[in-house]
Amino acid sequence: MKIVGVAACTVGIAHTYIAQEKLENAAKKAGHEIQVETQGTIGIENALTPEQIAAADIVILAIDVKISGRERFEGKRIIQVPTEVAVKSPNKLIEKAVEVVEQQPIV
Amino acid sequence: MEVKEIIDPKIIKTQLLGTTKAEVLEELANVLLKNDYISDVAGFVKDIYAREAQGQTGIGNYIAIPHGKSTFVNKIGVAIGVTEQEIPWETLDGKGVKGIILFVVGPDNESAQNHLKLLSLFARKLGNDEVVEHLIQAKDAQQVVAAFA
Repeated sequence: MKIVGVAACTVGIAHTYIAQEKLENAAKKAGHEIQVETQGTIGIENALTPEQIAAADIVILAIDVKISGRERFEGKRIIQVPTEVAVKSPNKLIEKAVEVVEQQPIV
Repeated sequence: MEVKEIIDPKIIKTQLLGTTKAEVLEELANVLLKNDYISDVAGFVKDIYAREAQGQTGIGNYIAIPHGKSTFVNKIGVAIGVTEQEIPWETLDGKGVKGIILFVVGPDNESAQNHLKLLSLFARKLGNDEVVEHLIQAKDAQQVVAAFA
């Protein structure tokens, strides 16, 4: 499965990047491809390309604030959670993503 | 750019004496003051609590990441405290904490992009279970640094 994501927390210094790391590790462990863009104090890093977004089966938004470029994901399957969910239970979140992909056909 | 560039052994303290969140934060703030990272302990600690009020900073696995974003900060950095006993803290998994990672950041971020980038690389490491396990077992500053290598 291909996953793209965005992580963004309130202060943009710590949770954003911890969530990114946890999501990447959990997805890879489960055998998925993943890229997580971060929107923090230092701006956007690891930016998702339109191709990556187009190819993704699902989008995971681990965010506590409004993100820029949300419209890029229109028409995609999206799971949105606060960053703390990605930090606390990354494996469960990836399992949930698989479930959503299996159950929700793209219309 | 490597994570260890942002780690300063002078602001790492293992075997913290404090047994409460308030005591531990004050202890770390005093270490920061002594090393010129901040200009005022009380003002700095007050700013930490402003962030604490917004939500839990205990991220689970015995780690807390209080944010010291404050006008009293002279120099960006990260203070690291390790305790032998669990300290009660608001955490995602309901456990206490043994490793306290205090982010020290000023209000002006334009001129500090490099340091903030380093902090973000450092934060990523905290998402790694192995790093965290080594960290909370560290007995001295050198072992703390090694945990992040």
